[in-house]
Amino acid sequence: MNLTAQDEIAVYVEGVREALAGLPAATRDELLEDLPEHLAEVLAEGGGSLHERLGPPAAYAAELSASAGFTATTPPAGERSRVAATAARHRARIDRALRSFDEQAGPILGYARASEFLALLRPAWWVLRGYLAAMSVAFLLHDHGTPLGLLPRAGGDDLAAILLLGLGILGSIWLGRRGRPVAPWPRRLQRLGTGFLVLFAVIGFFEVDSAAQRDYQYYDSVGYTDERPGPLSDVRDVFVYDGDGKLLVGVQLYDQDGQPIRVGEPGCYDAQGNPVPITNPGYPYCPSQAPFQSGEPALSTAPSTGPSGASADPSPATPSSTPTR
Amino acid sequence: MDATQLLKGVLDLAVLAVLRDEDGYGYDILRRLRAAGLEEVGDASVYGTLRRLFNNGLLNSYVVPSDEGPHRKYYALNEAGRAELQSSGKVWQGFASIMEDLLRERGKA
Repeated sequence: MNLTAQDEIAVYVEGVREALAGLPAATRDELLEDLPEHLAEVLAEGGGSLHERLGPPAAYAAELSASAGFTATTPPAGERSRVAATAARHRARIDRALRSFDEQAGPILGYARASEFLALLRPAWWVLRGYLAAMSVAFLLHDHGTPLGLLPRAGGDDLAAILLLGLGILGSIWLGRRGRPVAPWPRRLQRLGTGFLVLFAVIGFFEVDSAAQRDYQYYDSVGYTDERPGPLSDVRDVFVYDGDGKLLVGVQLYDQDGQPIRVGEPGCYDAQGNPVPITNPGYPYCPSQAPFQSGEPALSTAPSTGPSGASADPSPATPSSTPTR
Repeated sequence: MDATQLLKGVLDLAVLAVLRDEDGYGYDILRRLRAAGLEEVGDASVYGTLRRLFNNGLLNSYVVPSDEGPHRKYYALNEAGRAELQSSGKVWQGFASIMEDLLRERGKA
């Protein structure tokens, strides 16, 4: 059974459904539940289209409802049936357009119809569907602190991820090989699931795409590190010392383009974790937490404990001690 | 005289009869009826009749997966169906023998 046969059946069933518009929806659905499968058997027999073999859908519907014990076959001429008729006309037009596109696009792909080519891609879709299903399961289960990557790492474990992926793909292939479900509810459920996975795939694709772009921009301008990991991501404050080992305050950092380089978080906390108001613009945010104490930044003239001061100190002491001895 | 008019009255019985010995799915039942000589029987009539007999509790149904093509819904007679087949069959046989007698007498006359 190929796609075109399915189309023909769907159109015919739709025609019968319209002709039975007078019946309550539940009764009609119940009556037409097995009709697609039944018509597939008729069509498989060969000997012409459904229309040729069974007559127009309206006649089929009349015979069907009469033999099934329902009499209300004439559709009511109410608002609802007009809407239904308009919808059916649009559907038929879309069907026609799709069919002609199918036939015109086919030769470009090297087939009589594009749908023949698409039918060949079905197993590939099953594999992709399995991957997407595994990814969506992992996405729903994983804790959002750790990034998911491209594997379905539900628990952060690579082996479990590959197992889940294999399970998803095998399950999807199994489902695909079983064919379309018969009962209307599983069929609806499968359609809903497919819709969800397609939506998930589209959103996921753009997420991954923008993440990849962000990574690239990050390498472009190191130092701009709000949340992204990088060589400067651990830096919370910057301390600049001049040639004399003196801590500079109120420092502004710029790159070659004159763009301000921002590192760390503008904020300062004391040992107890209470916020301390920032007094100086620029770096360091917290002068009191400087790693090397070179004396008060204000008293810049007396580097008493600096390296130069330490080397200068013993030299006058040694000669003076020798003569006194 | 149109055989389709007659058929309407006895299609239930005919469908029950072809299901007596062997379960079948919709199109298979149609084929059996046609093979038995009911050439005029319509596809929609058989499908609708099956649905009605099923809804009236005379048939059981089960789905059989098929490798090539769609799944098939098989119908089988249950106890109520067998009872209906028996009682309706008697009614039909009585009716048929009356008709036969009538026609024979007319033929003699």
